[in-house]
Amino acid sequence: MLSVQGLSKTYLKGDIEIPALRDVTFDVAEGEFISVVGRSGSGKSTLLNLIGGLDTPSSGRILFRGNDLAAMKRADLSRHRRYSVGMVFQSFNLIPHRTAVENVTLALVFGKVPRSKRNERAAALLDEVGLAGRMDHKPGELSGGEAQRVAIARALANEPAMLLLDEPTGNLDSGTAAETMEIICGLNRERGLAVVLVTHEEDVAREVSGKVIRLLDGRIVGRLGGQGQA
Amino acid sequence: MKSLDMIRLGFENLLRTRLRTVLTILGVVVGIGALTSMVSFGTGMQKNITEAFRDSDLFTSLYVTAGDVGEITDPGDVIELMSKPPVPLTDSTVLAIREIPGVEIVFPEISFPVRLEIDGHETRTTLRGLPAAMGRYKPFDDLEYGEYFSGDDDRAAVIRLETLEDMGLSVMDAGAETVDAPEDTAVAMEVVVGDSLIGSRVNVITAVMDLSGGPIGALTRLVPGGGAFREAAIQFEIAGILKESSNFSGQGFRGGVFVPIETADSIPTLGFSSVWELLGEDQGKGRYGSIYVRVRGMGDMESVRTVLVDEMGLSVFSIADQLEEIKRGFVIVDSVLAAVGTVALFVAALGIVNTMVMSILERTREIGIMKAIGAGDGEIRMIFFAEAATIGAVGAVCGLILGWLVTRLANVIVNLRFMPVGEEPVNLFYFPLWLILGAVGFSVLVSLLAGLYPASRAARVDPVKALRHD
Repeated sequence: MLSVQGLSKTYLKGDIEIPALRDVTFDVAEGEFISVVGRSGSGKSTLLNLIGGLDTPSSGRILFRGNDLAAMKRADLSRHRRYSVGMVFQSFNLIPHRTAVENVTLALVFGKVPRSKRNERAAALLDEVGLAGRMDHKPGELSGGEAQRVAIARALANEPAMLLLDEPTGNLDSGTAAETMEIICGLNRERGLAVVLVTHEEDVAREVSGKVIRLLDGRIVGRLGGQGQA
Repeated sequence: MKSLDMIRLGFENLLRTRLRTVLTILGVVVGIGALTSMVSFGTGMQKNITEAFRDSDLFTSLYVTAGDVGEITDPGDVIELMSKPPVPLTDSTVLAIREIPGVEIVFPEISFPVRLEIDGHETRTTLRGLPAAMGRYKPFDDLEYGEYFSGDDDRAAVIRLETLEDMGLSVMDAGAETVDAPEDTAVAMEVVVGDSLIGSRVNVITAVMDLSGGPIGALTRLVPGGGAFREAAIQFEIAGILKESSNFSGQGFRGGVFVPIETADSIPTLGFSSVWELLGEDQGKGRYGSIYVRVRGMGDMESVRTVLVDEMGLSVFSIADQLEEIKRGFVIVDSVLAAVGTVALFVAALGIVNTMVMSILERTREIGIMKAIGAGDGEIRMIFFAEAATIGAVGAVCGLILGWLVTRLANVIVNLRFMPVGEEPVNLFYFPLWLILGAVGFSVLVSLLAGLYPASRAARVDPVKALRHD
């Protein structure tokens, strides 16, 4: 489903080139759960942003169901973000002045879902992540775990084929983190969603995913098997 | 549907930052208020003046004079002019003009100086002969007292109110309180009731040449004390008294007393005709200095003028020509006023740009989030455009209301302070539909232009950087 081939990304800081990713190659099959681990600054988030179509690579190819993201126009990239992938971030990235349900419906607005169906669908998604009673709360009134579940519901809004998770439990306590990981694993199992999880916790990665890629200074330095779904 | 959602999102953002939105809109309100009140002053002034002209007969009046005295640009013109004698204006000319399609009234200009006398009160003025048909038109259709004469050979006269005042007669309504004449008035005014003058006698006194003894005899007496001149008095009945003239009027301007045209023609006078008679020239009778032509409507002006000038070789003067010049002047005045107002609106536009750029800086992260969950450049741009347009539209509507209120207030103040008591209040400002729609349209347009840069900047926000942004 996803094929990353010889992917490199170089940032310019002034005149100095800073390589963030160097020649990264790997594949993700339909319904596969794969983790990317490494220290901070190893290029994990950059990789996720490239797969999510938020950024464009310096070289290499990202084939999502046969379409190369590197060759896409801005409008096609926004369509990729809208329908193909759902992203979840460490800092939740909810819009603070919108309630839980409004944060989800916003994604449905961009997904061109008719107005009449938005609230119903958002409510069903929030129910699925166990937030049926917290729909009209704003992010500030939610706990970290609840906020991240709103973000997950939002990522699912336009029925993507792949979830991209950037340290989704990084801001959560261990108990909440485990609950959140359980929800994510459930989505992978029950919905058959492909998942790319970026984390610095290698043991968690090995536990939940079928495949683990270790990055160091933008290079893949290890490919490991996991106990999770392959 | 897509745009509607984006407009709704933009609207929500405006509601969220209420104070800033209100302040930005206030800028537009002041801009549009200034623009519309300025332009409405210009259009109001134009409307008042052109309507004053239209009420009169200036738009439908032509003054025909003999011959075509064209512009003389080189000596050849003078020779040509001399070789081509002017077409004389005679009774047959009047009849010919009457046949031109579109012509309503034609009559030759018959006017001469006279002395008027009512019960020992006298003044000098100009007598004009007018056809009875003129009674349908301003200012003769609405007299202060009495009525306009109905026959062209009646022995009736319409006198101007000012002429009576010149005679020392202060005309009052019956039953009106008499006002003491001011002490410093040189001539003691006698108060008369207007209605009582109707039907009373007025003597029209003209100077004529004593033609007894034939032309030669008259000429020999053309020395001081020679007795060549004598006065002839004719009695008229006062038919009506004309209102004090307040607006521009071609017919209202001239003459202090008006009598039926055929009667006027028969009054012995020292006019042209008697000089011709004096010199024994037969064709002199029926020659006129000018002919007044009134066309049916403004649209007939051009065709009638063409016939008069091109086919009959006459000279034509109309004040409508001058009005075109005046109208051109108004375009300039309006432009200057609009320019001043536009400056205010552009200051408001800068306010919009400022607010929107501020808003983008504040909402960079939000824009990043929206992009991360699938918003395209176009949608982000649309949200900001909607915000700018809303500011412009709301500002325009409120600005129009402000402009209207300000002009109302200014109008009341001007009317209270500067208009004489009893005069009808003047409407100095005028809000035509085009101004209202134009102001709203212009405001939205300027707002969209002001939103152009911020919106495209918002659309170009890099989501990766924006999500890192705090």
